[in-house]
Amino acid sequence: MTMVGRTLGRMEATALPHGGNGGTTVELLGLSRAYGSLRALDGLDLRLEPGELVALLGPSGCGKTTALRIVAGFEAPDTGRVLLDGDDTVALPPQRRNMGMVFQGYSLFPTMTAEDNVAFGLRLRKVSRTERRRRARELLELVGLEHHGAHFPHQLSGGQQQRVALARALAVEPRVLLLDEPLSALDAKVRVQLREHIRALQQRVGITTLFVTHDQEEAMSMADRVGVMRAGRLEQIAPPPELYAHPATAFVAQFVGTMNRVPVERRGDHVHLLGRRARVRPGSTVAGSAPAVALVRPEGLALTPDRHGEGIVTAMTFLGYVTRLEILVSAELALKVDRPSVETGGIAVGDAVRVELVDDDVLLTAAD
Amino acid sequence: MAAVTGLGGIGGVAPPAARLRARRGLGRGRWRELRWWRLAVLVVVGAYFLVPLYAALRFSFSTTTGGWSVSAWTSLPAAQGFGPAFLLSLRLALVATVLTVLLVVPAGLVVHLRLPRLRAVMDVATTLPIVIPPIVLILGLLAAAPPWLKATPYLLALEYAVLGFPFVYRSLDAGLRAIDHATLVDASRSLGGGWMVTFARVLLPNLRTAILSGTVLCVALAFGEFTMASLDQYQTFPVWIVNFDQSNSPQTSVAASIAALGVTWILLLGLSLLGGGRKRRPRQTDDAGGATP
Repeated sequence: MTMVGRTLGRMEATALPHGGNGGTTVELLGLSRAYGSLRALDGLDLRLEPGELVALLGPSGCGKTTALRIVAGFEAPDTGRVLLDGDDTVALPPQRRNMGMVFQGYSLFPTMTAEDNVAFGLRLRKVSRTERRRRARELLELVGLEHHGAHFPHQLSGGQQQRVALARALAVEPRVLLLDEPLSALDAKVRVQLREHIRALQQRVGITTLFVTHDQEEAMSMADRVGVMRAGRLEQIAPPPELYAHPATAFVAQFVGTMNRVPVERRGDHVHLLGRRARVRPGSTVAGSAPAVALVRPEGLALTPDRHGEGIVTAMTFLGYVTRLEILVSAELALKVDRPSVETGGIAVGDAVRVELVDDDVLLTAAD
Repeated sequence: MAAVTGLGGIGGVAPPAARLRARRGLGRGRWRELRWWRLAVLVVVGAYFLVPLYAALRFSFSTTTGGWSVSAWTSLPAAQGFGPAFLLSLRLALVATVLTVLLVVPAGLVVHLRLPRLRAVMDVATTLPIVIPPIVLILGLLAAAPPWLKATPYLLALEYAVLGFPFVYRSLDAGLRAIDHATLVDASRSLGGGWMVTFARVLLPNLRTAILSGTVLCVALAFGEFTMASLDQYQTFPVWIVNFDQSNSPQTSVAASIAALGVTWILLLGLSLLGGGRKRRPRQTDDAGGATP
């Protein structure tokens, strides 16, 4: 059994806030927020089901952090509402919303020990000293830091600090957990471990969680649903596999994962590319007969060694189960193709290959 | 859950060994050379401060006939006007410091937390009390102060508060820049802390050193200020020293100066101890060096 499994098992009867009671419904209705002429949010609608972890993903400036801060109460929307189980909270200050938040920067209070940090919210709620010490220790045990309660933040590593911050956020038994890029300051290995830890805790506690990140791997690996934001709006929100396999718009397709841009020849509601006819998928954003390219994932292409093939293998990168091949098709077109490594044994750099489309429909976007 | 492994290994306590290794990395010869430089700088700086003090101390024990005497020191407490002047300076320093801290700390926090665009304005404003001549400050305050205040020496405390403003604000500003105060405030508020709780339990403990540094400067400034007190014609301790020197024994006057310096140092030491005295140590030090990054 893993450490989280063991600690969760021990904590089951005592420390877990909510105890997996299903959490709170969160609704963001028509949220708008402008900073001068910049519209950070432009009518954002989002609903989080009880106990769900939703990640907001998007490039810098897309409004994801603004949305989170409005939910937390640190900022007020120009228009729109934030409902918790149907109650509008927009008028409430942050200290009366009962939300737990883990921040991007290290937010532990430097003059308090880890235990005092975790107990801080309980102290403000007039919980007795004995009780808050007991709960703080249990929560530290929950995050695997039961032996670090007496340490000050500067005596903890970045990963440990964020785990204490998580324990502190959960200690007040919040209705909603808000995560504002809590892993972005950590190194890669700790980031992977901690995201698994956070996800395991969130699922066990069953707390509704809104998670903001610009790291798509984090979002895809942790969230029940991922919302991709652009210019203050949600482009698409869907479970990670659906978002990846069926992006609703060209922006989502290009933002999530790697995408090839393949020139197409348009014929009515069909296109021709790579020697094959394909349907145009809904969500394509090309008007009329404007020049277009198809967006095709590396795994959406197949290749066959062929002396008369139109492509030349220029590079091969072994990635474990798959190998990524870079194929030069023409002076203007280079493709990335992912194939199972067991299938690429007979292919070498410099070989001629034939590249084919796997699916029979494609998403189109305007050509540059 | 099975995928979550090794969490106990996330993070750990950085051992001080790295610093030791860095020191060792300097090499014995280089370290010795550095030590010489440090010693030389220390001697020069020490001489700069201590030689004038030594000269003054020596003078205070001398007599006009070339002999030695402690009469300048023993006669000091009984010297005419010494007690009132000393107490007035002490009182004014206290009032001015409290006034400055009460005005500047909230103002600095509001500027940093709510009105960050005003920081540039405050930066300029903090230079004004330093560059504007004292007489201009006095005339300005006399024009603005209510009549009842003009009739008391506490007008001087107000003037000292203006003089102390740059020192306390700059010190506070440096303290606020050294911490991620915005995140700390957000964290406190998300946990249920109102503004007052956040200020008292989160910000103040983190700014204690910065505020005390500013306070120390403000006390020293107010206790030793001469020009404004002289222009306002109040007999503060520095003014008394000059007047006494002109009409009585210069040795006593110098002894009083050294005594004033001693009092200021004691005050500063007390404030410094107050600032550092509440630092807590971990109650336990388990597996301090055993964890990974």
